[in-house]
Amino acid sequence: MIGALIYLQVQSIKNRLRVRLRRLKKPKYLVGAVVGAAYFYFFFFRNLFTGRGGVAAGTADATPPETLLMFESLGALALFAMVLSAWIFPHERAALAFTEAEIAFLFPAPVTRRTLIHFKLVRSQIAILFTTLLLMLITRRFGGGGTAWIRAVGWWLILSTLNLHTLAASFARTRLLERGVSNWRRRVVVLSALSVVLAAAILWVRRTIPAPEASDFASLDTIKYYVRHALESGPAFYVLYPFRLVIRPYLAPDAHAFLLTFGPVLALMLLHYWWVVRSDVAFEEASVELSRKLAERIAAIRAGGNWHSTAGKQKKKRPPFALRPAGIPAVAFLWKNLISAGQAFTLRTWLFLALFAICIGGPMGASRLTPGWLPPTIGIVTAILAGYSLLLGPAILRQDLRQDLVNADVLKMYPLRGWQVVLGELLAPTAILTGAQWCLLLLAVTMFSRIPEGDAVPLTNRLSFGAGAAIIAPMLNLISLVIPNASVLLFPSWVQIGRERAGGIEVIGQRLIFMLGSVLVFAFALLPAAVLFGLVFFLSRLFLGMITALPLSAAVAAAVLAAEAGLAIWWMGRLFERFDLSAESVS
Amino acid sequence: MGSIGPIPILPRGPLSALLAIGAVLVCPCDARSNASAHPKPHPIMIEVEGLTKLYDKFPAVSDLSFAVRPGEVMGLVGPNGAGKTTTLRCLSGIIPATHGAVRIVGEDLTTNPVAAKRQLAFFSDEPRLFDYLTVQQHLTFTARIYQVSDYQEIGRRLLEELEMADKIELLPGELSRGMKQKLAIACGLLHSPKVIFFDEPLTGLDPLGIRRMKDSILKRAREGAAIIISSHLLHLLEEVCSHVLILKNGRKVVDGTMGDILQKFSEQSGDANLEEVFFRATGEAKEGK
Repeated sequence: MIGALIYLQVQSIKNRLRVRLRRLKKPKYLVGAVVGAAYFYFFFFRNLFTGRGGVAAGTADATPPETLLMFESLGALALFAMVLSAWIFPHERAALAFTEAEIAFLFPAPVTRRTLIHFKLVRSQIAILFTTLLLMLITRRFGGGGTAWIRAVGWWLILSTLNLHTLAASFARTRLLERGVSNWRRRVVVLSALSVVLAAAILWVRRTIPAPEASDFASLDTIKYYVRHALESGPAFYVLYPFRLVIRPYLAPDAHAFLLTFGPVLALMLLHYWWVVRSDVAFEEASVELSRKLAERIAAIRAGGNWHSTAGKQKKKRPPFALRPAGIPAVAFLWKNLISAGQAFTLRTWLFLALFAICIGGPMGASRLTPGWLPPTIGIVTAILAGYSLLLGPAILRQDLRQDLVNADVLKMYPLRGWQVVLGELLAPTAILTGAQWCLLLLAVTMFSRIPEGDAVPLTNRLSFGAGAAIIAPMLNLISLVIPNASVLLFPSWVQIGRERAGGIEVIGQRLIFMLGSVLVFAFALLPAAVLFGLVFFLSRLFLGMITALPLSAAVAAAVLAAEAGLAIWWMGRLFERFDLSAESVS
Repeated sequence: MGSIGPIPILPRGPLSALLAIGAVLVCPCDARSNASAHPKPHPIMIEVEGLTKLYDKFPAVSDLSFAVRPGEVMGLVGPNGAGKTTTLRCLSGIIPATHGAVRIVGEDLTTNPVAAKRQLAFFSDEPRLFDYLTVQQHLTFTARIYQVSDYQEIGRRLLEELEMADKIELLPGELSRGMKQKLAIACGLLHSPKVIFFDEPLTGLDPLGIRRMKDSILKRAREGAAIIISSHLLHLLEEVCSHVLILKNGRKVVDGTMGDILQKFSEQSGDANLEEVFFRATGEAKEGK
């Protein structure tokens, strides 16, 4: 029977790969795959082929035994914490995650519970092997001068043992529940045992080594000494011993040391395996429930909802303002998307934040009691944050076409011109970003009362800078949001629509190309505005002075950006009217 | 499409109470209906000429032409993949047609989409709602989009008729599937559309819901709306529709009034119902025959 289940798994992987390879016939996926492969090669695999630069090239080999012992202790402690959490936090019964199709086919079939567990274990091995590969790539363990296989097997042993223990713990918890031991009683017992161990360890440390003084904490070596002493001797050593066994193969400096440490951990793993397969616990009902929840969540994501919309009870959100039936239709989208963004983005919040910036920033910036470095530092940091939000904001705030295009059917039915829909969709993230930036600018203006270790900055100068930045910020935001939204309409399969994330090397490549393209388009869009800004600033500074020049030139630049954004929205509206999501899905 | 056929009236009997409830379901606001009743209705509400939809080179719908007049209910039937949903999506402006023209109450859907869309409503088999808007907020949002000034009164009445008055503060995630469908209907009817498209309208409804839906469709038709229903439930279409259009592989194979079609096929081989007509027209093998 397990053969059939392995067949299911192997065929699923094969078919998934085949679909991925088949879609490489399309240039957009092929280009993405080439770029993605290049990225992985240059960042991860290059050292594998050239044998250069791997972190592991001698790292573990050259590590002194005391440091290795320290790593072992810390690793064992981390593993202990993970295992402990499996006994403390979960409250639900044992549930193996199956897809709805697997439940429909396998649960009514003449398949034993043990076979289902084996199927689950085989499947989890695929994830473990993939994670091992990923960890090897991220930690640059390839090219480690012959020890790469030790690290790989080491990771595999750690992850597999942890996986088996988590599964076994879930079975044991269910068995306890069946025997009338509630979750809280179990937690009390586990936490009591933990307290006893902790008390014993602390007591032992206090008796064997002198208590540290405050000055001891200034030295890293002293801290290391205390940690080592607490973990590598006394009760903690014995409690952590099984976890040390699991960590040791990974830290083995050579093949011989590895083989010596491999036996115990293999025995531990087999013991866990025996524990899992011998546990005769009914997991079917909870698994059905779990798979239903997973399927609902996936469906919600595909429908443009979020991952948590079905997980818990979603809360009703207060509208940001009263929407009247008459007026500009685009405002309806602003209203709707502000509700989607959440409670935080109401006019009241922004007014409160602005008031906070004035009431706190003003007195702090002006006060002689405040340390000299603090206000300008806060001012600089907030100004940098405001600038940084221009880059990060459009990636985080997706309450626009990127969220709503999964509901394209509904949007396209509305009696509105395409540009009206596009404008409406862009308003909410622009408003949110602008609100956040204005608050940050207000704080920067009130705080930046003097140059660090230098002269005071006059309020008029600060206000001039703040006004200039505040004038241009909305238009910069609009342009930065136009780019990803236009990309969704131009290349729907290149940009993530809704909240479902596609995977694959070609998708990573597509995103890299998209990111680079976005930066280039943004820079190109800024060019005319920047030129005009410079020109107006130069002239107005000559005739009107610095204070007036900055906001004036910012206003001119903002007007240019507004014109660009207007043209872009009109063009995107045409794209939206011609947009055919079904054709994309079919292709 | 031929002349305006008589609308089949459901028999009144023990179900009359239910039918009475269903009858008000589709009449969101008498005032609006009266207001829109003054101008003379356009002679052809839905006019389709040479509609073609290609996916790459694959023709999902080929050279489809027909017309639906006020008060007519047309059943759109065909095997899976015949192009029914694609046709409805093209007619409601969701997807652009590759070739051909669609006019809704005389307004061309391609050249004047805003005016055309103002007159129509499309109900898909799966209600599409915004998961972060409550029932009331859905109506508020729809009212702004369609500029329905008296939406609060219409919405209140609609929700009462749909037995959702106590659910205005709930989110779609807290509604059953049937309730979600009712909310989609309430949003769709808020602007009193003259042209209505239903794609599998009975999916997921209980018997009472099915009865009410059928009654609603007939009531709207009596008030002068032109309706197209796509469904595999042929007995439903036989009960509700005045006209039938059968599609196969994106092409029209049969088109006409229900009476004419049934009579035509009965002449060929005895009494025929819509199911018989469907199997013969599409060449599909009926089980056991």
